[in-house]
Amino acid sequence: MKTFEEKWTAWLDDQLTGSELSQFEASLPDKAAAEAEKAGSKKLGELLKRELSAQPLANEEFFSHQLRERIIQETREPVRQSTGETATYRWWTVPRLLWVGAASLAIFVVFTLGVMHEKNPAEESQYLTQILNARVDPVVSPNATVSIFEVKQDRVTVLWTEGLQSLPADYAAK
Amino acid sequence: MHRSLAFIIPVVVVMSALPASHAAETVWSGLVIAENVAHPQPVPSELKRIEGSLKRFFGYNQFKVIGQSQKVVRTGQEDWLATSKYFGLHVDARGESKGGYVLNLKLYKEKELLLETETKLSTHSPLVIKGPQVGGGQLLLVLVVQ
Repeated sequence: MKTFEEKWTAWLDDQLTGSELSQFEASLPDKAAAEAEKAGSKKLGELLKRELSAQPLANEEFFSHQLRERIIQETREPVRQSTGETATYRWWTVPRLLWVGAASLAIFVVFTLGVMHEKNPAEESQYLTQILNARVDPVVSPNATVSIFEVKQDRVTVLWTEGLQSLPADYAAK
Repeated sequence: MHRSLAFIIPVVVVMSALPASHAAETVWSGLVIAENVAHPQPVPSELKRIEGSLKRFFGYNQFKVIGQSQKVVRTGQEDWLATSKYFGLHVDARGESKGGYVLNLKLYKEKELLLETETKLSTHSPLVIKGPQVGGGQLLLVLVVQ
């Protein structure tokens, strides 16, 4: 036994025939309004069919390829993010820190040796005592001369005078 | 902690390599008679460091101190005197230089000026001045930063 709603839907779709149709149409309180509603329903159905039918894709393969790529990309990214964090954490391990320290030390030593090597000649003279000037009284010792020597083995600087007036042994007294 | 350790080690090494600033140092000034004798006396402790150079360079086997002075140099502006009976060495410090002191030296025989020199005395390098011949020996002036 069909309900009224089922018969109404079937009537709208022109599914009722024979006695069933005549009985249903006789049961309608306002047949004209029902016919108008049926016509409106048909119009709406046609409009929906026409407008909502699937548009054919011009490059179907291209779009599906793009879509697949996007899906793959989105599924990989979270994995990459999580492994990236782990990698950052794992980079500062104790052995690596020791290596970084040793490498820094090695770089420092290399630069220091380089700088020392370049500066050595100048610095050596800085470590040695330097005679800036020397003079002997020309009245007391008119023929006196002065020379400067550096004994690099012991880093001794010698001011060598020649021609100073000789003195008797008494002058060696304390 | 480990991360900071990697940076602290090189910093400590760099800091330790930096030169220390000048502290007060003692300058020993001596009037020395160098002679050749049959039985030489041991070299005074102040000259031990340069004993080999003195012997090789001047050709004597004994070095006897006849006058000396030990001066603690703090400002680099001090002056002092090392004297024997007849000689006097006046040292006038005229400031610090890189790794030492600028000194003006005057050697007197009694009141007579024999020699004057200006020198940059390095803390690592002694200065020896050959003075006049005295008898069979030689007067040497020695300055050492101790």
